Amino acid sequence: MSLLFLGAGLALWFWGTWPLLEQRSYLSKLHKLSVSDTLGSGLMLLGLLLRIPSQWPLLALALLGLVVWNTIFGYVLARCSQPAEVNQR
Amino acid sequence: MVFLLSCLFRLLLWTLLTADLSGVNLAIGVGLALLLPHARGPRQPMAPALRALWRSLIAVPLAYGEALALIGSGDREEESWIERPAGDPRHRLLIFLEVLAITLTPFTIVLGLSNGPRGPHYTIHQLRPRRGKPEEVQP
Repeated sequence: MSLLFLGAGLALWFWGTWPLLEQRSYLSKLHKLSVSDTLGSGLMLLGLLLRIPSQWPLLALALLGLVVWNTIFGYVLARCSQPAEVNQR
Repeated sequence: MVFLLSCLFRLLLWTLLTADLSGVNLAIGVGLALLLPHARGPRQPMAPALRALWRSLIAVPLAYGEALALIGSGDREEESWIERPAGDPRHRLLIFLEVLAITLTPFTIVLGLSNGPRGPHYTIHQLRPRRGKPEEVQP
């Protein structure tokens, strides 16, 4: 079961990272990167949680930090990509 | 109430980090939670923040569903800019949780918060699978 989560997380990583190399809009790349960064890594941590349950406090902390940090960092990158007048409205 | 919630959250992080539930360690955690600086400002209402917290939790399974929808769509996606009403910008916790819930889902990313004539609203960039049949490419 843990291998399933780890494999699914790895698949999401590749799916979300590959568009970085393509000709797409910046925001479109950010949408897909959030899939690999947050959701893919989340699945991997769940896989690790099943594999080494004795380390659950640190893995739970990592999962919480990952979801909050990655999501807010995505928001900061998206906001900074906008012209100054949009941000100052 | 928000002060208490903030202290409990700090204590949770401390116990997860140290993985030690002994009395001494909990006392250190409580001390740290109380002594570390707390946000100042207007009183933060609890009910909207708890609703936003619930929406943030619901956003996690929703995010996986949206990720699957994006993966299933191939390259047939459409981008759009939408606006969505926001909570009171003075309530920082509420805004933080709303931005988290919206940006966590792969379809939407918050670009900013504006105060217009219709009240505060988020400017959101949306990437959704295109509806209908794919356009035929002319040879």
